[in-house]
Amino acid sequence: MAPTAPLVINYLSMKDLLRLKTSLNEEIENILNEQVKVEAHSSAIYLAMSSWCDDQGFDFSAGYFAKQADEERHHMLKLFNYINDRGGKAISPEIVNVPKDFESFRSVFELALEQEMHVTAQFNTIAEKCFKVKDFVTFQFIQWFLAEQIEEEYVARRILEMFDVIGEEGTGRWEIDKHVPKVTYNAE
Amino acid sequence: MLCGLASLEEIYRTEHGAVLQCSNKNCYWLEFAGDCTPFKVADFLNFRKQVADIAVDELLYAPASSADLTILMPFRSQRCFVLTVTEVLRLKELLQGAKFMMELPGVIKDCLKVSSLLSC
Ligand SMILES: [Fe+2]
Ligand SMILES: [Fe+2]
Repeated sequence: MAPTAPLVINYLSMKDLLRLKTSLNEEIENILNEQVKVEAHSSAIYLAMSSWCDDQGFDFSAGYFAKQADEERHHMLKLFNYINDRGGKAISPEIVNVPKDFESFRSVFELALEQEMHVTAQFNTIAEKCFKVKDFVTFQFIQWFLAEQIEEEYVARRILEMFDVIGEEGTGRWEIDKHVPKVTYNAE
Repeated sequence: MLCGLASLEEIYRTEHGAVLQCSNKNCYWLEFAGDCTPFKVADFLNFRKQVADIAVDELLYAPASSADLTILMPFRSQRCFVLTVTEVLRLKELLQGAKFMMELPGVIKDCLKVSSLLSC
């Protein structure tokens, strides 16, 4: 039986407890919490890379990855706080699958670039979801991350190119390591 | 939480239970398996997620007899849910329907706002 008109009006005029509690659509909240996890995972991976580089005598790269690990944690917190600020419930993530060993100096940077490309793809998906549910507030919020990814991918790729430009033979890796912290992105 | 019964508004009802809302105390009531339990909004949302995440197929295939019953003890609640697989399914259905009915007014209102803006 179809509900009668007064019933429908009654239902629509009910206090909207859900929206009083949260401005986040559940789907958006879930995908943002997933991204919290991805950033935390990135942070843990970079920390592992830092340790490996340190162990192998690549001091500058160890410092570079330690700084990256810090930045990723900062990204995580930015998302984390946003979820809570919008009335959602941010979840402190469980981190698994953190590598301990890497094949080579070069492979560490290849993995780093792959990780950044994965993160970019994630944010693209979030942007798409925001459009789907017309959540332009969150869409606006993630602009910062999308712009950040340009820099992250650029730097990772530039460092990787040094392996060809400088070459790994002789003191090559020592030279590459020395140049890693100097790679910067200038959008201008 | 104590709410006057008269102030409860029904959000969704199935054969096996109902979800009601109290607009005075801003809470939800879950009527299920012969009992009525109040939840604060956030607690209700968590509880719904918890129930939605129960993997019924795993319960059915698990050989241990402990898998026949699912026990849920929501925080800040006196109620302890001891559910058979059938009851889990019924509760899932009820909470899923209630979720839809909770979200629907907001969606309708948004649409009405958009269409009234367009007709100006
Ligand atoms: Fe990041
Ligand atoms: Fe990054």
